[in-house]
Amino acid sequence: MLDAFTVSFFVICCAGIIVSVLLPAGMSSRAAGCFGVAASIAMGAMGGYALASQTPFTIALWSLPQIGPLCLSVDRLSGLFLVVSAFVFLTTSIYSPEYLKAYREEFDLRSLGAFYFALMVAVDLVLTAADVLTFLIGWELMSLFGYVLVNYQKRGEERTRPGYLMLVMGEAGFVAVLIAFLMIAAHSQGSILFSSLRAHSASLGRTGRWGIFLLSFLGFGIKTGLAPFNRWLPQAHPVAPANVSALLSGALLNLGVYGIVRVNANLVLVRSVGPGLVVLVIGAFSALMGIMYANRNDDMKEMLANSSIENMGIITTGVGAGLVFMALRQPILAGIAWIAALYQMTNHSVYKSLLFFGAGAIDTITGTRRLDRLGGLIKQMPLLAIFFLVGALSISALPPMSGFVSEWLTLQSLLQSAALLSRPVKALFALSGAGLALTAGLAVTCFVKAYTMAFLGVPRSVRMRRDTQPGFLIRLALGVSAVFCLLLGVLPTYVIPVLGRVTQGLTGADAATALVPPFFDRARGHSQLPPAFVADFHKLGAQLGQRVLPGSGLVVLHRGAAQNPVVFAMSTSYMLVTLVVLAGFLFLVVRFVLARRAEAVRKPPWAGGLASLLPELTYTATGFSNPVRVTFNAVFHPQASEERLEMVAGRFRKSITRVINEVHIFDRLIFQPVVDRVSHIAQRLSRMHHGRLNAYSAYVLGTLLAVLLLSRTHMEEHLVLSPALILIVALLLDRVL
Amino acid sequence: MSQWVISGLRKGVVTTRYPGREETANGVSPGFPVALTSVSEEAGRELEAICPTGAIRFECGEAHVDYGRCVHCFRCARSARFPIEWESGYEWARLASTGTNSAPWPKAFKKSMHIRVVDAGDCGACLNEVKQLNNPYYNMHRLGFFITPTPRNADILLVVGPVNDHTRLPLQQTYEAMPTPKLVMAVGACALSGGVFGSTFVTGGGVKDVLPVDVEVPGSPPPPLAILHGLLLAARGV
Repeated sequence: MLDAFTVSFFVICCAGIIVSVLLPAGMSSRAAGCFGVAASIAMGAMGGYALASQTPFTIALWSLPQIGPLCLSVDRLSGLFLVVSAFVFLTTSIYSPEYLKAYREEFDLRSLGAFYFALMVAVDLVLTAADVLTFLIGWELMSLFGYVLVNYQKRGEERTRPGYLMLVMGEAGFVAVLIAFLMIAAHSQGSILFSSLRAHSASLGRTGRWGIFLLSFLGFGIKTGLAPFNRWLPQAHPVAPANVSALLSGALLNLGVYGIVRVNANLVLVRSVGPGLVVLVIGAFSALMGIMYANRNDDMKEMLANSSIENMGIITTGVGAGLVFMALRQPILAGIAWIAALYQMTNHSVYKSLLFFGAGAIDTITGTRRLDRLGGLIKQMPLLAIFFLVGALSISALPPMSGFVSEWLTLQSLLQSAALLSRPVKALFALSGAGLALTAGLAVTCFVKAYTMAFLGVPRSVRMRRDTQPGFLIRLALGVSAVFCLLLGVLPTYVIPVLGRVTQGLTGADAATALVPPFFDRARGHSQLPPAFVADFHKLGAQLGQRVLPGSGLVVLHRGAAQNPVVFAMSTSYMLVTLVVLAGFLFLVVRFVLARRAEAVRKPPWAGGLASLLPELTYTATGFSNPVRVTFNAVFHPQASEERLEMVAGRFRKSITRVINEVHIFDRLIFQPVVDRVSHIAQRLSRMHHGRLNAYSAYVLGTLLAVLLLSRTHMEEHLVLSPALILIVALLLDRVL
Repeated sequence: MSQWVISGLRKGVVTTRYPGREETANGVSPGFPVALTSVSEEAGRELEAICPTGAIRFECGEAHVDYGRCVHCFRCARSARFPIEWESGYEWARLASTGTNSAPWPKAFKKSMHIRVVDAGDCGACLNEVKQLNNPYYNMHRLGFFITPTPRNADILLVVGPVNDHTRLPLQQTYEAMPTPKLVMAVGACALSGGVFGSTFVTGGGVKDVLPVDVEVPGSPPPPLAILHGLLLAARGV
């Protein structure tokens, strides 16, 4: 069955490439969209089938001489990532044909379609690879096609530089990953299959483990957008088309998470807490830095890119917590942490692609992505505004939307560090948790800004175009994502068992059962739940809906020991019901009780006494985010310079030019000093190149001597030959000079 | 930083006791000319002629003084051959007949009142006196009066200046933007009658031409205690 899905996926992708290249430009993108939908359904079917099946499925490709057999294999971990990527590819395929209409005059969309399918194949290869070579080939293809797609709007140097930076950093990461895999493969007796790497990884030493962890984490971390190697991400997004941005954030960043989980939780199991703590702290730090910079951004896509860094940070924190729990032999807690991380990843892919679609639609319709210029779009495109609001609520982790459950679970799993013994580990967990809590708060500020500034109020720029509507397919893509945002948010008890199947393969423990007690089925009971406990919750109404819904219940609950029966519990499903009831009640009260007593008087907005409300007078995104800027001034570190043009004895100002120069904290504290130091050394070294021939000859002679002296221990004959060689060289040089 | 606590304690309370007790300190009020009930024709005509704003009017052997016009120039007290008497009180505010809130007076203002100040072409003098209400000496917060920047929160509109052409629309808009019940208080001779400007090609004859005035505070500028009296009057309505 999976065979058929895999083959059909690759066939559809190849057909897609051929069709999008051969068809005339007008039809190409629509045909590519159709093929893209088919291919992503095949991809999702692959993943879904793997998630449902008990054992991993392997397809042997072909055997290479010297290297060994190449394999594709889909286990549950790959299956989940395949389903998530397939969802993003599906909505992107729906969205793209309509969105790309604006690009039709300027660019040849046929090659874009071909690259799109190539990227799809690359993502599939990375996720299904069961050997090092296929994985690395897939990874490299993914980097390359990602670069090509991001740089699709090639408009001069400044537009191509961010994509180039992305490629360069990705390649640096690739080299690190390559070395890490070679280090693992060196211990597996010549086989490059993941299964044999896994089998032989136990023989790795402490240093080797750390080396593998650090190199692979560096490589995958760059692709995930973790601090401090994430400067490419906020630069690449604004230059990329919106559909590529959605793919980049929704599918490609996940591959880095996949790599981290695959290597550390599956191939080379971590044994000490160290690697997990590194992942945890880097994750929390990335999240905090990402959301701080997102608050600062005016460009919508740059803001979303920084928020991707934040979300990836949250996911990585969960992964790190899981690694620590695994190293300390707490498989249930590790399972919960990984469920949280994978849940967050799934949610992020859905809502971030939605938000990028929305930003792209706004960009093409109004001609700007700057929040300081937008405004009042809710009147022009109400449906898009509602979908964007769902995405913004989800990403702000407000219940009952999707981001809430996963962030809540992540924070809860961090709080479970109370079960650990080591005090420094607890302290790091607490600090990371505090960082994430601050991140969650700042995320709300950030997306309140994004939504209100873009959709509410009046247009902040007279030049904003406001004649057209987003097309049907654009609204459809956003609508599908919005529906999934809501479903993932209100039905966590149906998502967690699926994710639990994935983590069960990694931890060996059933964390899903520990999170979703069967309150719907009193008779079946729970292996860990005493009847009295279940009865208590039945009194609270935990069985509400058992006749309508299948499954075990709607409450997420983790049970502890006897003295602490409930460690944490939550139900967004019942929360939604309560919210709807309360909102309805409130509506009735306002409509029929309060409205009768006093009549509301509508007056025009107060514009400070001016004849009409000018767009420039309204509250701007910069103004809204200013408190955050001021609070975190130490991070942003703006350097302002003011230039005044004065006349009449310095009393009257003709003009004031105020330039605020902000250098990103990582550039300022990490990269700039390194670059300065390297160029300083290079400058010192450049004194050697002064053009005098005899000095160069001396360098050659010196190098030769050094080589000979160094190789002396290994090759005895060189020791004999070296004086003669030096003599010959010296004589030759003398002639030259 | 630590010094101000000590210096504050050392200084004690400087705030005026008004309205609990009468304020008798020197210079709290410039005073007004006292109307004369019996005056000779000659003296009355002279006083009428000497007054630059037409505040003194001679009628049937009596010299009436219109506080709404007087600008305390002291010409009637110092340059006239028959000088007029001056009183030095400050409780000059009165309810205007043009107001919309005559009876019954709204109870909403009894506890506290938020004031939106609008400069309708003021020279700066009245505004300066309004500003004094915030200082420790007059400290209107103790009586529940607060300045607010937005008309949406305001209970009373305090207008200074004669309302010239450019300030008319903002003034009207501010009034429109205020929630009901609301009051209008005209502060200063200019706001009451046009003052030294009178009715000219750019100014009207005061706030009452534009808005229904509830409380009038004469004086040019009225001292802070007079404005405070006006505010207390506006709060109570008696």
